[in-house]
Amino acid sequence: MYSSRQAWLFVLPALLLYGAFVAVPILQVAAYSMFSWDNGSIKAFGGLSNYSRLVSDNVFWTALGHNAIWAVLTLCFPLLIGLILASILAERSPRLVKVMSAVYFLPRTIPLVVAGIIWGWIYNPVFGLLNYLLDMAGLGSWGGAWLAEPGSALISLNAAGAWTFYGFCILIYLSAIQSIDPSLYEAASLDGASWGQRFRFITVPLLKSTTLFLGLYSAIEAMRFFDLVWVTTQGGPGYDTEVLTTHIYKTFFLVGDFGYAAALSVVLLVIVLLVGGLSYRILRQP
Amino acid sequence: MTRTSRILQHIVLLVFALYALMPIYLVLLASVRSESDLFSGPLSLPWPIDFSNFRRVWFESGFSRFIVNSLMISVGSTLLVVLTAPLAGFAFAKLKFRGKEAVFALFLAGLVVPAPSVIVALYGDLQALGLLNTRIGVILPQAALLLPFSIFMMRTVMEDVPDELLEAAVIDGATLFETYVKVVLPVVRPGLLSLALIAFLFSWQEYLLPLVVIQDEALKPLTVGAATLQGRYGVDYGGIAAAGIIAFAPIVALFLVLQRSFTRGLTAGAVK
Repeated sequence: MYSSRQAWLFVLPALLLYGAFVAVPILQVAAYSMFSWDNGSIKAFGGLSNYSRLVSDNVFWTALGHNAIWAVLTLCFPLLIGLILASILAERSPRLVKVMSAVYFLPRTIPLVVAGIIWGWIYNPVFGLLNYLLDMAGLGSWGGAWLAEPGSALISLNAAGAWTFYGFCILIYLSAIQSIDPSLYEAASLDGASWGQRFRFITVPLLKSTTLFLGLYSAIEAMRFFDLVWVTTQGGPGYDTEVLTTHIYKTFFLVGDFGYAAALSVVLLVIVLLVGGLSYRILRQP
Repeated sequence: MTRTSRILQHIVLLVFALYALMPIYLVLLASVRSESDLFSGPLSLPWPIDFSNFRRVWFESGFSRFIVNSLMISVGSTLLVVLTAPLAGFAFAKLKFRGKEAVFALFLAGLVVPAPSVIVALYGDLQALGLLNTRIGVILPQAALLLPFSIFMMRTVMEDVPDELLEAAVIDGATLFETYVKVVLPVVRPGLLSLALIAFLFSWQEYLLPLVVIQDEALKPLTVGAATLQGRYGVDYGGIAAAGIIAFAPIVALFLVLQRSFTRGLTAGAVK
């Protein structure tokens, strides 16, 4: 047998690493947010004054709105595509499933920075692929400077984000579908149910918890993403693709306002922890 | 299923395969396109095929160094994760100790923590530790940020280790640590491989941490190098395409060879 102390030794290395570089910095950020800063050093205790600035910070609210739009777009597009493609694939040969899921997942292996660079080209107004294809299809007038125009910048970026994410949704949905009892599908087929009916009445309801997991996961990701925006638009044009993480980055490194950057970080942390806590409670329910 | 709906389904599968592959194909073409061939349309086959972009990026823009840095940083973080996460995962799955639930909740909360939200404090901490502008200054926080997911995954893996196996080892007089090394680790080897692959993938892709921590050109990893190249020579499309390929080719190759292990790792935790 073993003592409690011996068991602790197993957790200790991970705890030390995690404590030093994640947990303690979070506490520090919370503390920093209570002070006003000058040139990287603490000037005075400010209480909640950094937080009261949030109310009138339009960039903050715009950014938060973009994070929310990003979450909704992710729910509409990659999740739905993932569900449909996974349920089509599930009825194909294992060989095809293996090849196709590798193809769909491939973009996820590419660093987001590189994905951002690639999609920046695709959207380029002069030599980009998208305008080129529209031209070829005789729809040249639909073309535009996708990432430079306020109306299209955020949605265009989201399509690039979706490119790296829907393969993951397919993988998760596929492994969930494969755990559904096949006799359900067989019985439905014998009763003459079409593919659409089986999808609607078996697959979708039985995958509810998987959809919930992916939905909450993408909501959290929608709050956290940074790379894709930073290498393409840096939040521009204007503030049209600004998100919380880019607002934090700019406030910290470009403006040098440590206290306010810390307050923004705390807001971000509170949001993801709330969504995370909610996910845990919902998904743990039997 | 009717013929038409079957054909329709195959078209859907194909369209999304194109969506996945087209951008990659586009970069491959751009990377071997010579300057004189630049404006013949993004999808035209490049001719003559020109590898000078790779040569230039590799030798002149520092990518031969960036790739070494990416390797060192990713291997370093992966090693740290593989050394610490399975130990903790084992304890959470199989051992009883005081404060277990509280510590596990602490790690669980870390699952959602975004790197940008800790950077404000981490930056000063690394500076105080003298780790700013070093590779180890990226490796340590990188591994720490990967730990929650890794521990969660390892706990799931460790739960499948049969209790009889552990009891038998204890009866043979093995200590807890000996049991872990000699009995548990060999059983969970596939899980360890998945963990290592995913930790490596995420470290390789990381951008914000090295962007913030490293200023020295000689220490930058590929992600930062590629982004810098884009900013500096905004018109060298061939060079940027070649840089992008150097940045993703190793990890794509690794994924294609070890697809099963990758998939198992990514879907662990999620589906249970």
